[in-house]
Amino acid sequence: MRPRLRLVAELAGPLSLVVVVAVAGSAMSIAQQGNAINVLVTATIVVALYVFIGNSGVWSFGQISFVAVGAFAAGLLTSPTATRQTSMPTLFKFLATTQISNTESLVLAAGLGAVFSFLAGLVLMRLSGLSAGIATFAVLEITYDVLTYWDKIGPGATTLALVPVTTSMTVGAVGCGIAIVVAFAYQHTRSCRLLRASREDPVAAQGLGISVFRHRLVAFTISGGLAGFAGALFVHELGSISTGQVYIDLTFATLAMLVVGGAGSLWGAVLGGMGLGVVDAFLSNAENGVAFGSVNVTLPNGMRVVILGVLMVVVLIIAPKGVTGSREFLERFLSKRPGRAGAGNKPGGSLAGGASVADDGSQAVPSPSRTQS
Amino acid sequence: MSWVSDLVNAISLGVVYGLVAVSVGLVFGVLRQVNLAQGEVIALGAYSLWMTRGLPVAASIAICCVVCVAMSLAIQVAIFRPLRGASALTTLIVTFGLSYALEAVWLIAFGPNGEPVSMLSSLNSVVLGGSIALRWITLVEIGASGLFFTGLVLILYRSKIGMMMRATAEDFQTARLVGVRIDRVVTWAFVFGGLSAALVAVLVTVQSPLVTPSFGFNLIVIGLVGVVLGGIDRLGRATAGGFVVGFVNSLLGAVVPEQQLVFLPMLTFLFVIVILVLRPAGLFTPRGSIVERV
Amino acid sequence: MNPLLRLDDLRVTYGRVVAVKSVTLEVNEGQAVCLVGPNGAGKSSTLLAVMGAVRSRGDVLLRGTSTRGLRPEALAHLGVAMVPEGRHLFQTMSVQDNLSLGTLARRQGKRARIDERWVTELFPIIGQFASRRAGLLSGGQQQQVAIARALLSDPDLILLDEPSLGLSPVAVDAVFEVLERIRGVGVAILLVEQRAQRAIRFCERSYVLSDGEIRLEVTGGAVEDPQAVVEAYFGR
Repeated sequence: MRPRLRLVAELAGPLSLVVVVAVAGSAMSIAQQGNAINVLVTATIVVALYVFIGNSGVWSFGQISFVAVGAFAAGLLTSPTATRQTSMPTLFKFLATTQISNTESLVLAAGLGAVFSFLAGLVLMRLSGLSAGIATFAVLEITYDVLTYWDKIGPGATTLALVPVTTSMTVGAVGCGIAIVVAFAYQHTRSCRLLRASREDPVAAQGLGISVFRHRLVAFTISGGLAGFAGALFVHELGSISTGQVYIDLTFATLAMLVVGGAGSLWGAVLGGMGLGVVDAFLSNAENGVAFGSVNVTLPNGMRVVILGVLMVVVLIIAPKGVTGSREFLERFLSKRPGRAGAGNKPGGSLAGGASVADDGSQAVPSPSRTQS
Repeated sequence: MSWVSDLVNAISLGVVYGLVAVSVGLVFGVLRQVNLAQGEVIALGAYSLWMTRGLPVAASIAICCVVCVAMSLAIQVAIFRPLRGASALTTLIVTFGLSYALEAVWLIAFGPNGEPVSMLSSLNSVVLGGSIALRWITLVEIGASGLFFTGLVLILYRSKIGMMMRATAEDFQTARLVGVRIDRVVTWAFVFGGLSAALVAVLVTVQSPLVTPSFGFNLIVIGLVGVVLGGIDRLGRATAGGFVVGFVNSLLGAVVPEQQLVFLPMLTFLFVIVILVLRPAGLFTPRGSIVERV
Repeated sequence: MNPLLRLDDLRVTYGRVVAVKSVTLEVNEGQAVCLVGPNGAGKSSTLLAVMGAVRSRGDVLLRGTSTRGLRPEALAHLGVAMVPEGRHLFQTMSVQDNLSLGTLARRQGKRARIDERWVTELFPIIGQFASRRAGLLSGGQQQQVAIARALLSDPDLILLDEPSLGLSPVAVDAVFEVLERIRGVGVAILLVEQRAQRAIRFCERSYVLSDGEIRLEVTGGAVEDPQAVVEAYFGR
C-alpha cells in the first residue's frame, strides 16, 4: 500500500499546488489574476528545467532557448497575417501566410522545442560538468542572436505584438498540470531511473553498460518539448514578446527557483517555481509601490533580482538540495524506513571532492560535494 | 596603412581580454572552480573610478585597485570558502546568481543609464595622425598589460608564493601534504585576480567611458569564452585564449561591415561548442596530452 | 612518556563504505612501524587520516596532543611528512622545485637532522637531474625524489604509502636501504606495504590489517608464527 500512496502523493502534491494558485488567483483582482497566471506559466518552465537538470544532474543554462523558440513560433503563427505582412515584410513566405489556432500553436511549440533540443542534445549531451554548462550557455546566446537579427524567421529586434491572449487561469493551470504529469510519468520510466543512477557516478554507470548519452538525450528532448510548450503558454499570456524576455533574465529567474525549491525532485521544482513566483510577483508589485495600511512602500527597481539572486546563492551554499531537500511531496513520511544510500569513494583519488551522498534513498540533487578543508 | 592601426587596436583589445582571462584562470588554477562574479569586481572597480572622479588620477586608480582586491577577497570568503571542494559547475551557477544580484545592486545604486568616467580622457588623443590613426590609450593598454603579465610571470616562476601556486594548480592534495598553506595560496590568487580586474576597469573605462550595470557581465562572458577556447586548466593557455578572442573580435569589427557583424556572437558561440566537443582541453593544448576533465 | 603517534580507535568511512573500522596503534620516536594487509584493508585510509586528509572518527594523538581538526598542511608543519601512493610529484615542475616545496614545512629554530646535502648524498640522482622536469624521470627515480621531498621537511615521522609499488627487486632493496638510513637519523617511520614479510622483518613493530581492523600485532621483526600472519592477512 505504502509505495502506491507515495506515488499518489508524488503527483498529487504538485498538482494540488497548481489548483491552490489557480483558485486563489481567481479570487483576486484582475491585476493579481495576471500575476497568478504568470506564476503558473513560470512554474511550467521550471518543471521543464527540472526534467533535464534534476534527473541528469547536469546544469543547463540553455533551456530558455527552447522556451524562446516555442514562444516565437506560437506567437508568430497565431498573430494576424495581415499585420505580419506589413510589419515583417522580410519573413519567409510560409511564415507570413500560415495561420494556426492557439491550440495548434501549443502543440507546434512543444514539437519544435523537442526537435531543437534533440538536435542540440546530439552534440551537447556528450559533454559533462563545466563544459556542458558553458556549451548550454552558448546555445542560449546563439538562439538569442539568431532570433534577434534574422528577420526572415520572426520579428527580429522588434517586439512581436498582437498575439491572441488565450492563456487564461484555466489554460495556465491545465498547461502547468500537463507539464507536471509528463515530468511525473517520465521520472518513472526505466530510462529516467538509469539516468538518475548514472548521476552519482557516470563512470561506473558507463562501466555497467548504461549509455549516459542516450538517457541524457531523452531527458533533454522531453525537457525541450516542455520548454517549448511553456513558451507558447508564455506568449499567449503576454500577447507580445521580444527576444530580451526569453534570455538571460528568465534563465536566471527560473534557475533560481529550481535551486531554491530543490533541483532533485518534481515537488521541489513546482514548489520553488510557485513559491518564488509568488514572491517575485509581490516584489514586482512593490517595485511599483504597494500600500501597507497607510504606508506606501516602493522598492527600488531591481530589488527583486537582488533578493532572488541572494536566495539562490545562499541556498546553494547552505542547503544545496533546496528547501524540499530534493524529496518528493510527503516522501519523508511515506517512506518505510529512513534507508541509507550512498556512494563510496576511494581515498587518494580526488580528495578535494568526495562523493555527495543522498541520505534517504531519494535522489541526490546535483549538489556540490564537499570534504573538510 | 589603416591595417596598422587595426592591428594595434586588435592587440589592445586582445590584451584586455587576456587580463580578464587571467583573473578567471588564476582562481580556476588553484581551486578548479569558476568565478563568474569576477566581472562584477571589474564593474565595481569602474564605478569606483566614477565615484572618485574628483580626486587626482593616481589616487583614483589606487582606490580602484584597493576596491577590486577587497571585493575579490570578499567573494572568496563569502562564496568560495564555503564551497571548497564543490564542482566547477556548481560554482559557475552560484557565481552566475551572484553576478546577477550584483548587477541589480549596481542598477539600484547607480541607475540604468550609466555613468561616464572621463578620467584620463586625454589618453584618447591621437598619437599619429593621418592614415595611421592611433590613440595613446591603445599603447598604454598594451604597455600596462605587458607589465602586468611580466610581473605575474616573475611572481609565478621566481617567488615562493608563485611556486606554491603552481604546485597547488598542479596537484591540490599533494601540495597540502608537503605543507603548502592552501588558504594563503587561494587568497593570493584572489588578490592577483582583483588586481587584474582593476587594471581592466581602468583600461576599459578610458577607452569607452560609459559604465552601465551590465559592464562587467559582458566582459566576463567574452573572457570566459576565451578561457574555454584557450584551455581553462593552464593559465598561459587561458590567457592566450582571452587574447585571441579579443583580437579576432576587434579585427572582424574593423574589416566586416556592421550589418553583417550581428551574427558574430552566433559564430563565436558555435565555435565554443565545437571546441568543447572536439578539443575539450582547449585550442592550445597539444593533442594527446593528459588533461583533467572539468 | 607519550608515544610520538598514537591512533585511538580510528574509524574512516566514505559514504556508507567503511574503510577503517577500528585501528589503535602506536609509533614511538625513531621507530619503524608497518601496516600490512591485503588490498582494501584500510591501510592507505589510515595514513590519510593521520595526515588529516580524510575525515575520521576516533583520535589521532601526536606527541600526546590531539590533532583533531588539523588540516594536512598543519600536520606537515608539525613534523609529519607523507609520501603518498603513486609518488605524486609535481610533474611539470623541476626536480629542484619539487625539493624546494619539500622544505616549506621545515620547522624553525630546530637543529636540522636532514638537509639538502644529506638528501643529495642519499639520492645522487637528485644532484644529477636537479633542473629536469620531474615528469620525465623514471618511476624509480620519481620515488627517490618523492622520498627526498618528504625528508627535506626534516620530519619526526614519515608516512610512506607503498614505496616499493611497481619497482624492480633491485629498486625495492634500495628503498629498504634508504628506510634504514632514515631510521638511522632518528626519524620514525609508519610504512604501508604489500610486501608483508620484508616489511615485518624491517620494522620494530608490525600490524596486520584486514577489513579495516587490526588482526595481529607482531613485535621485534621476527615472525614466530608465519601461519598466524597468513591467517590474519586473509581473515578467517
